[in-house]
Amino acid sequence: MRPSSESSHRHPSVVVWQLVDKLGAIAVLVLILIGMSIFYADFVTVDNLLTIGVQATTRAILAIGVTLVIVSGGIDLSVGTGMSLCMVVMGVFAINWEQSMWLAGAMAIVTGAGIGLVNGSLIAFAGLPPFIATLGMLGIAQGIALMLSEGYSMYGFPAEFGFVAAGTAVGIPLPLIILAVIALLMAYVFKQTRLGRYSYAIGGNEEGARRAGIPVRGIKIAIYVTAGALVGAASIVLASRINSAHPGIGFGYELDAIAAAVIGGASLQGGRGTVGGAIIGALIMATIRFGLNVLGMSPFVQQIVIGAILIAAVYLDIVRTRQEVRLSRLRAH
Amino acid sequence: MTLANSAATGVPLVEMRGISKYFGGIAALRGVDFSVRAGEVVALLGDNGAGKSTLIKTLSGAQPPDEGEIRISGTPVHLDSPKAAKAAGIETVYQDLALCENLDVVANLFLGRELKRGPLGPFFSFFDGGRMMNEARTLLDRLNIEIPSLRTAVRHLSGGQRQSIAIAKAVYSQARLIIMDEPTAALGVVQTEKVLRLVRDLAAAGIAVVYISHIMEDVFKVADRMVVLKNGRRVGERLTAETDRDEIVRMMITGVDERAGAGAAV
Ligand SMILES: Nc1ncnc2c1ncn2[C@@H]1O[C@H](COP(=O)(O)OP(=O)(O)OP(=O)(O)O)[C@@H](O)[C@H]1O
Ligand SMILES: [Mg+2]
Repeated sequence: MRPSSESSHRHPSVVVWQLVDKLGAIAVLVLILIGMSIFYADFVTVDNLLTIGVQATTRAILAIGVTLVIVSGGIDLSVGTGMSLCMVVMGVFAINWEQSMWLAGAMAIVTGAGIGLVNGSLIAFAGLPPFIATLGMLGIAQGIALMLSEGYSMYGFPAEFGFVAAGTAVGIPLPLIILAVIALLMAYVFKQTRLGRYSYAIGGNEEGARRAGIPVRGIKIAIYVTAGALVGAASIVLASRINSAHPGIGFGYELDAIAAAVIGGASLQGGRGTVGGAIIGALIMATIRFGLNVLGMSPFVQQIVIGAILIAAVYLDIVRTRQEVRLSRLRAH
Repeated sequence: MTLANSAATGVPLVEMRGISKYFGGIAALRGVDFSVRAGEVVALLGDNGAGKSTLIKTLSGAQPPDEGEIRISGTPVHLDSPKAAKAAGIETVYQDLALCENLDVVANLFLGRELKRGPLGPFFSFFDGGRMMNEARTLLDRLNIEIPSLRTAVRHLSGGQRQSIAIAKAVYSQARLIIMDEPTAALGVVQTEKVLRLVRDLAAAGIAVVYISHIMEDVFKVADRMVVLKNGRRVGERLTAETDRDEIVRMMITGVDERAGAGAAV
């Protein structure tokens, strides 16, 4: 061994990168909040922050699932319209068939998991690129949601259902508590289960993971099913907030979810991403949207801004990855 | 070096017969026979593209053969996945390293066989980081492998360190056969010596080793027997004690086994 090279991972530039990695997203969030309070002195209030947090919940839940997928080197474009479909299924059970809200909610999660099962199978067994499989699913889920709802918003959820989005417990909005529970559960999945560990391994080196005896196909399916179940959970929160099921509402959420994941440090090259990052990323996206609303920017312009943010975040990720590959090669030879 | 081993008799641990592998129109292997006994180090030799990596991939389950038979301790087996090969006691250190660069050293060593702890078994348990760390330390110490921090992502390590981890990973699984594809290609002199000694130690402990290398000096130090391939065919084999560098190099280049009858090879 060459002792001189052993400490290379502590080189100053690496330390800087690691810091940016850990704190970058939080720093961005703080900067945005500071920037907004320059325009509006009373932007940063507990009320506003709670509103942003509640608005971020749906996207954060989606982003956590998308992050797991991205960590494994995949992508899921179907989370937005998938959420519409889950919501409509919930409407069909609770409204059309007058079943209990509990059953309807459970069916939303089952539907999400089912979408994930199809995605995962197409990717793991049919060998489709995740981009194409989930792009196709984006269309399919949208179509089924429109068919089941006949294209209309579905009203008539029981009044108590509004509690999910509007209720509080010990003064904290329920959506935030739901998000916290999901975040804890998923942090456990990411860090302490084989599913999580193998997602990182597959994203880092899929062939290497296979050679290590990991059942790569099964793990991939489990990854997409998990992400799908989270889509179902997100649809429950959103349906409660809008007090209806809307077949068109989800489309576009995939953009936010993927942007949130990448801003939170997930790499589209795979092998990197965290639950905490996904949540911070979703908070950043929600803050930006809230800020744009406060500034009176039209929804059309907002679309442009969100798209540009996604592109910028992915570009930064590419720069970072290039840098790391270069450093890694330097060390290996 | 160790004639005692090559004199060992009985059923080979692994016996491959008539192995062929095609990639599109190209035959990477054509009817290759190959066998290893327990405690024996067999070098697999041949020029670039001879089929060495392809042959060992059929044995490690990474690329099952199109034709041919593999027997382990005399029993025919189907090694159609790395998992099946591992279950049969075959571990591989690949030429293109199979480490996950984004994971740390411990995670890589235990990949696919993580240790867990927790009251509720499979339903709620945690990785036993402390135990994996200790066992990793013990293993690396035993193999004289120096890596300052086992919590470092493999991406940050030198080529020699990565290679050592890949070997340690194979050793840890208590394999009966370890395949090494150019394990010293990226290593300096000192580290190479360590790996060669490690290979002999493994053989002395009764483990069979298939050793691929282009470095003749290493091969003559470590192997009991040598098998030469060319263009996907087996040219012939020699006991290390009964041959020399020149003869082996001629076999690799000409693809002819001079001691066999005329026209026996290629
Ligand atoms: N996946 C593949 N697809 C197509 N051809 C392949 C594939 N793998 C190997 N080959 C071909 O099979 C032949 C044997 O390759 P192999 O890698 O086994 O050679 P090798 O003896 O290991 O060479 P080297 O010493 O360069 O590692 C080569 O002609 C190679 O191009
Ligand atoms: Mg090779």
